[in-house]
Amino acid sequence: MLSNFGNTLLFLNLLLGVLIIYFSVGEFQNSKITISKKIYQLCLFQITFVIISFLTLITAFIISDFSIITVYQNSHSLKPLLYKISGTWGNHEGSLLLWVIILTIFSFFFLIYSKNHQKNYRIISLIIQNILILGFLFFLIFNSNPFSIIAPTPKEGLGLNPILQDPALAIHPPLLYIGFVGSSIYFSAAMSSLITNYSGKLFAQSIKNWVLISWSFQTLGILAGSIWAYYELGWGGFWFWDPVENASLLPWFAMSALLHSIMVLEKRNQLYFWVIILCLLTFILSVTGTFLVRSGILNSVHTFANDPSRGLYILIFLSLMIFASVFLFFNKFKNSNYGFYSNSRETFILINNWFMIFYLITILLGTIYPIFTEVLTDYKVSVGPPFYNTVIIPIVVLFLFFMSIGPRIKWIKNKSYNLNLLFKILLASILINFLITYFFNSYSFLSNFIIISALFLIISSLLDLNKSFKKKEINSSRVTSHLAFGFLILFIGLNHNFSLEEDFNLKLGEKKKFDNYSIEFTDLKLKDFENYKAVIGKFQINNLKKNLNQFLYPEIRIYDNPKTITYEASIRSSFLKDYYITMSNVDRSDYYNIKFQKKPFMMWIWISAIFISLGGFLRLFHNAKKNY
Amino acid sequence: MRIIITLLILFNLSFVQSVAQAEKFSINPNKIFKNLRCLICQGQSVGDSNSEFAQTIKLVVKDQIKEGKSEKEIYEFLIEKYGEWIVYKPLFNKVNFLLWLFPYLVFVAGGTIIILFLKKSNNH
Repeated sequence: MLSNFGNTLLFLNLLLGVLIIYFSVGEFQNSKITISKKIYQLCLFQITFVIISFLTLITAFIISDFSIITVYQNSHSLKPLLYKISGTWGNHEGSLLLWVIILTIFSFFFLIYSKNHQKNYRIISLIIQNILILGFLFFLIFNSNPFSIIAPTPKEGLGLNPILQDPALAIHPPLLYIGFVGSSIYFSAAMSSLITNYSGKLFAQSIKNWVLISWSFQTLGILAGSIWAYYELGWGGFWFWDPVENASLLPWFAMSALLHSIMVLEKRNQLYFWVIILCLLTFILSVTGTFLVRSGILNSVHTFANDPSRGLYILIFLSLMIFASVFLFFNKFKNSNYGFYSNSRETFILINNWFMIFYLITILLGTIYPIFTEVLTDYKVSVGPPFYNTVIIPIVVLFLFFMSIGPRIKWIKNKSYNLNLLFKILLASILINFLITYFFNSYSFLSNFIIISALFLIISSLLDLNKSFKKKEINSSRVTSHLAFGFLILFIGLNHNFSLEEDFNLKLGEKKKFDNYSIEFTDLKLKDFENYKAVIGKFQINNLKKNLNQFLYPEIRIYDNPKTITYEASIRSSFLKDYYITMSNVDRSDYYNIKFQKKPFMMWIWISAIFISLGGFLRLFHNAKKNY
Repeated sequence: MRIIITLLILFNLSFVQSVAQAEKFSINPNKIFKNLRCLICQGQSVGDSNSEFAQTIKLVVKDQIKEGKSEKEIYEFLIEKYGEWIVYKPLFNKVNFLLWLFPYLVFVAGGTIIILFLKKSNNH
């Protein structure tokens, strides 16, 4: 029943998409300045239907309607309600429906909030966005239909992969999708801008808020994914440079570059074609990421069930998109005159873009290089964390210095540098770094530069913040994000260098001593839960220096549906550090393999990332207030 | 002012250098584990995995450290046995040189484009 209803809605949406394009083309004959009501109404129907179809799927998950294959494969009647709901987008078909919804929502709101802009530009944006919607809707209905039925109806579902049953992962896909599917709207707008010659400041104004929205959500989405990896995957890291993580980072770099250069377009009416490239690139990278993740050609921690036909469809769609945008771009490209002074804010924004593109290309290359070597030379290589750390980190140092100075430079032409102040900031950073290394009593050569440059950015942003408070400027979004970015790098640096990690085997009742710690394996219990059994260890961590006692309880869980074993870390978080323990059984012995980690400032890494994205939301709020 | 800073940097670095040298004598096995792929897992390093394969590799690495082998020798040993797929840091060789050089090429090219761009627009 639900299946028929959902399918009908999807087909209606297909029809609506075609109708919207049809009537939009008809609009060109219409000489009125405004878009006719009919189109608004169709779009309203479109968004309503797509949302209802999504709610239908959620309902199917909640009531455990196992006649639908997607529900059968990814849910179980005993699962907690939250994970029944999040199971909706925890699989290929459901998440693709979410993808279509976000395309539609952005299409609708762009239409409504672009009323001050030229009609032709809006209409063509709408047409292109609807072509995207139709493309993905076709794929959804004919290849990955979330409402497909299975007969006879199974009595029970197979269950959701237990490592996906987690609050951070429940919100991770929607956040991330608002980010990178949201970038579709400025892809469409950029194409339309090229076609209708609606360029310059007005174009920048029409898309800047959409860039902010997608960037802020993308940041949060990446954060949620990395928090999940930290406490669910059980290795204590929060970033592994896994191909799938990289896939979410690539559009983020393109968006960050766009976020900055669009200001140059808005304020100085320059860099139009560069902004267009970034708009097109962001969505192309988002689709590329989806292709890499879902076609299964990469070896990664993510396990979407793989199916080559999906990969092929996305690849064809992607190629068409790239071909169309490249073709249109070179058709319209004009060499225009530029009036840039090298000592100006504009130049520093270009420098930002330079670094962003460097990171982007490095990560893209590292992600796809193994595919090429395997196909071309039959030679399997792994490109992992050591590669990225070696290539990227030294460049980050330089980047942070530019990032500190950039905002102090004036638009158009900067008169004077306050070199004295910069030297003072550098001096302070070096002193603080010295104190840090002294205090932690541990060093690594490169980390000095990272920490000094991060401190440099933090101090100079703090001074900026102070200045804007004095001037009573309310708009501190840029400072918020830059300051938080400085803290993020600082805490990552500190965390990376001053983590303590021990890997050893223990038997019940044994004790292990190292550095200032002793760890005792005091108890082992077997417990039955609603949908899994757990072996729970009890460990007493003793900090010998401070004579502090703490207990941690790592688990080995055996899930029934589907049959899986997971290793649950036990984490004791505090403001200054996290203690992190995982245990796993060693085959054919009484010993358990214990991994103990002390990770300083973990919480601050999350907080910094939240503040980075908060900067984006603040700017959005500020823009909205200015307009009304 | 500048002199003070230069001195400070030098001091800071030499301090660090001496400690780094002291550390050279003991190899940290955890660092090696992190740089090895667990071949039977989905995108996990040996250090992060609980699998039997990872446990075995950990023992092998620890034994080799005891035998006094250097980090480089341990990697070479493992590559010979399992192929280059096992190390997360690709070797610099004729297959991988593009991977290592291209990012820097992009970096230099990007910088050059910006400089040329600024020169051109200053002339206007």
